[in-house]
Amino acid sequence: MLTVTGLCKTFPGVRALSEVDFTARAGEVHALVGENGAGKSTLIKVLTGVYQPDAGELSCDGSQVRFATPLQAQQAGISTIYQEVNLVPLMSVARNLFLGREPRGRLGLIDFRRMHRAAEDTLRAMGIRVDVRRPLRELGVGAQQMVALARAVAVDARVVIMDEPTSSLEPREVRTLFGVIRTLRERGIAVIYVSHRMDELYEICDAVTVLRDGRVVHTGRLAELDRLRLVALMLGREIGEVREEGLTKFTGSRDTAARPVLEAEGLRIRHQLDGVSVSLRPGEVVGLGGLLGSGRSETAKAIAGAVPVDGGRVVVAGEPVRAGSTAAAIRAGISLLPEDRKTEGIVPGLSVRENIALAALPGLSRFGLVDDARVDRIVDTFMKRLRIKAAGPHQKVGELSGGNQQKVLLARWLALHPKVLLLDEPTRGIDVGAKAEVQALVDELADDGLAVLLISSDTEELIEGSDRVVVLKDGAVVRELTGDAVTEDELMRAIAAVPAGGHDD
Amino acid sequence: MTELSLAPGAVDRDRALRLLQDYGVYGGVLALLLFNFVFTPHFASAENFRTQAVQVAPVLIVALGMALAIGTEGVDLSVGSVMALSTSLLSLYLGYGPWTATLIAVAGGVVAGLASGALVAFVGVQPIVATLASMVAARGLALVLLPQLKDVHDPGLAALGSGDVLGVPHLALIAAALALLVAFVVRRSTFGRQLLAIGDSRPAARLAGLPVRRVLVVVYVCSGALAAIAGVLATARLTASDPTSLGTLMELSAITAVVVGGTPLSGGRVRIGGTVAGAVLIQLLTTTLVKHDLPPSWTQIAQAVVIVAAVYAARERGKR
Amino acid sequence: MKPTAPLRRACARTLLAAGLATSLALMTGCAKSEDDSGGDRGASQGKDAGQVVASPSGGTGPSCAIDAYGGEKRDLKSATVGFSQSEKEANPFRIAETASIKAEAQQRGVKLLTANAQSQFSKQISDVQDLIAKGADLLVIAPLNSDGWEPVLRAASAKHIPIVTVDRKINAAACKDYVSFIGSDFVEQGRRAADRMIGATGGKGEIAVLLGAAGNNVTTERTKGFEDRIKEKAPGLKIVFRQTTEFSREKGQSVTENLIQSRPGIKGIYAENDEMGLGAVNALKSAGKKPGAVKIVTIDGTRNAVQGIVDGWISGVIESNPRFGPLAFQTLDSFARGEKVAQDIVIQDSSYTKDNAESDLGKAY
Repeated sequence: MLTVTGLCKTFPGVRALSEVDFTARAGEVHALVGENGAGKSTLIKVLTGVYQPDAGELSCDGSQVRFATPLQAQQAGISTIYQEVNLVPLMSVARNLFLGREPRGRLGLIDFRRMHRAAEDTLRAMGIRVDVRRPLRELGVGAQQMVALARAVAVDARVVIMDEPTSSLEPREVRTLFGVIRTLRERGIAVIYVSHRMDELYEICDAVTVLRDGRVVHTGRLAELDRLRLVALMLGREIGEVREEGLTKFTGSRDTAARPVLEAEGLRIRHQLDGVSVSLRPGEVVGLGGLLGSGRSETAKAIAGAVPVDGGRVVVAGEPVRAGSTAAAIRAGISLLPEDRKTEGIVPGLSVRENIALAALPGLSRFGLVDDARVDRIVDTFMKRLRIKAAGPHQKVGELSGGNQQKVLLARWLALHPKVLLLDEPTRGIDVGAKAEVQALVDELADDGLAVLLISSDTEELIEGSDRVVVLKDGAVVRELTGDAVTEDELMRAIAAVPAGGHDD
Repeated sequence: MTELSLAPGAVDRDRALRLLQDYGVYGGVLALLLFNFVFTPHFASAENFRTQAVQVAPVLIVALGMALAIGTEGVDLSVGSVMALSTSLLSLYLGYGPWTATLIAVAGGVVAGLASGALVAFVGVQPIVATLASMVAARGLALVLLPQLKDVHDPGLAALGSGDVLGVPHLALIAAALALLVAFVVRRSTFGRQLLAIGDSRPAARLAGLPVRRVLVVVYVCSGALAAIAGVLATARLTASDPTSLGTLMELSAITAVVVGGTPLSGGRVRIGGTVAGAVLIQLLTTTLVKHDLPPSWTQIAQAVVIVAAVYAARERGKR
Repeated sequence: MKPTAPLRRACARTLLAAGLATSLALMTGCAKSEDDSGGDRGASQGKDAGQVVASPSGGTGPSCAIDAYGGEKRDLKSATVGFSQSEKEANPFRIAETASIKAEAQQRGVKLLTANAQSQFSKQISDVQDLIAKGADLLVIAPLNSDGWEPVLRAASAKHIPIVTVDRKINAAACKDYVSFIGSDFVEQGRRAADRMIGATGGKGEIAVLLGAAGNNVTTERTKGFEDRIKEKAPGLKIVFRQTTEFSREKGQSVTENLIQSRPGIKGIYAENDEMGLGAVNALKSAGKKPGAVKIVTIDGTRNAVQGIVDGWISGVIESNPRFGPLAFQTLDSFARGEKVAQDIVIQDSSYTKDNAESDLGKAY
């Protein structure tokens, strides 16, 4: 139905897609999987005409096509259902369904009776029962997505692309959605389904294409691929390839009997976290494993008070920490190195010096005035200790390399003398040399008695760097790897495991 | 880094743009001064400079507060109305003596700033909307308190408005002192650093545990207080309280001064020196056109040209 | 959601409300303003300040009688009069105008309904319709605009309600849509200001004009009268400077400051209203000029400006009399009794000079 061959797309500095072949067949639900930066969203954007490919061919029904605009792709029958529904929230369900092609009566006016009847018929055929006269925004997110789907089908879509459709749905809504997807399949529509939820993939998808680093690493029937193998493909690790040398790098003899300095219990965020508990002891590096979207970053942010939580509590050294307040968490000694360094970490327009001193400012001030001598001392200490390479303390942080930006952020937190350090992807996007330095630094800090929570999509880094690994899946802890079980094999097994209680998470 | 790969020519052009943005406003002031020395009769007199200093003082003081608000990626549209509120309060309480009345007028500005700041920081209303609300409310309140122009006979206020110390008018001295104070606060205080961090990257500032809300409220309070001081000074100069027309379109003049002075609207940077020069530039521009008896619409066109030039320079810089 | 957020928000809201309430209470509760030398302006106006007609009624101009207009004769005493004011009473002119109408109605024992359009024309239209609905038998209107009165005029003529417009004319047929217009001749005011300027300066030298707000008929007419008369009578006087200062004292002050520095030889300043003139006085004072060094002529006749003559700063003020009350009611009374009234009643504006300023200070508004 829709085929691409030899697709290449390069962005300045990044090769997003290279030599990608992909085929969506009629009456087939095709899973598109891959970790962050694998090229999924670029591929989708090329398919829907948002991006123009640098090389490669697109063909629809055997004839070659070229989509210069998203509109052209839509006219060719390719519809996309985004996570955020792009319909008109204030209009009625029926009007949304028929937007732009309303049935007209005499005088060219909209024939509302006919439109409402047709809308009801369409939705009932898909197993959805809603009052089509109500405004769309009064419906739940799931129902809105259903309407978007129904609209896609009604405009004679032949390919429907769904990007993480279940990320904000209740389990009941997911069931309905799957029902609709099955109906689409029976009607001979090609569905491209992007998701990280292993269980959903195996429930609804027929075929799978795995992308990694812009390349197709596997394509075929999903049923022929077991879960462990799929996880291995996504993460780019081979099963059984145990890395003994990695294990020797860190001292495995940390005091496991010590009292935990951080205890997080039953953290809950609607649709994201479902009762996650983690505890860290002084001098321990705990890894947080799991696929993208499993709730790793959310856990870290919830502990650091950076996102509002619906339940659970965080205790540092026996003292409970007020939830939802970064200031309270910082006072308690929790520091978070956020995943998105550029927008949530550094303050790009300020100097290295200002960035390092930022969080510690109140402590470095007298009567509201900054004590510049003390700031200079601290900045100097950390720039030397972390080997920050900058033209000087007054260079803007935005001009530094990624690795040095990360070190500046580490310095900002270390200046506060934290008890707990939460590192979310500390080495992403920084070069190999700096990466090793940051890793060594983390080890060193743990040796000094700091409790570290490490999140990394790089399995090797996670396994080698951590004393223990807590594995998350769909916002809940599924397993904890300790001692000899801290291996990539075990990690992948834990991620791929079928939930014991069937599908009810 | 990207700079390394740039051709020398591009670097030069880049540097020229940066210089234009950083020092263009001073160049503009200098050019206008030279023009006037040559072509305007009786321009180079002490008396004339005194007049210009006195006339620029209120705009300058308001622009200082505006620079702080813009530094946090916000804006304060209520400054003109706060000036009107301040002049109403001043007139209403002058019976207690000029000092008490001035204190109450400034307190009025603080309350107005508190209202805008609370809307921005706690309720999460966009600054442009929040301060638009205060703008309407403050002007309304000013007119309720004092519905029409009223003369001020207090000798103390009159002396403030027209007196001088060693030939420097009081108004100019006060404006200079406030400019130095605000510059000092921005450069040296904890509050100043936090303000810049919040303006540059609010999520990062929040995650770094900065008191984002408190800083935002204080910024709008400062802006309100400075506008109120400007209102008192304008009243002293006019020797009359005129809440119907005092401060109308002041917000635009202040924003112009700040932007022309090289403070980016995207926040994270506050240039007090540039703001002062920006206010002076606009004042000189108006003066030049008035002195040569050109139609007032020309002044507006000239201002527009200056703003567009400043914004263009800022945009080129941002694209890099 | 964060559990503390709503609480904090509620807190902020309460604080805000409490702050507003206390500040208002403070402001109104213990305010103590400076003693106002002017005293009660509305009450202090004497009868002698009323308007005098320049063109005698029923004289040369076209006139109007009730037979031509329609409706029946009545006694004004038993009638209800509606008054629609155009702008907020925030400047001396409007304050004096409204006060004069109210005082005259009280004196004659006529029931008066008033409305204020707050400078919004649509509000003035509905104001007048309301007045008619509330039972006004006769109307006095101070129009905000000259055009757009058709709906009101239709409603009024259906009920044969006589209308007198004051201070501004409306574009409609006199004696059909409305009875009379009572107002000043702004061009004439400009001419008289020119005469004063010529007298004060001796007809020679450079003078400046502070224009009113651009695009306002008062500005254009006062400018035209002044410039024409100067050209015709005193070619020695040169207008070398024309800047708009928008009828505001503050702008008048800053522009004059620049003016006297760049043109130290300026001999006179013509300000098209008192406020701009007072701003010019401020500028001259702070520049260290002596009273009378620069001759200032203004138009309006507010108390502050007349006081300026007494103090020697202003050379002359041409009055634009806002006290329409007596003349408006006299016109309505005569008309209602069946007598002829003039369609255009141009009032005689007096003027203030050194000779009469002190004695007539009480007449100023």
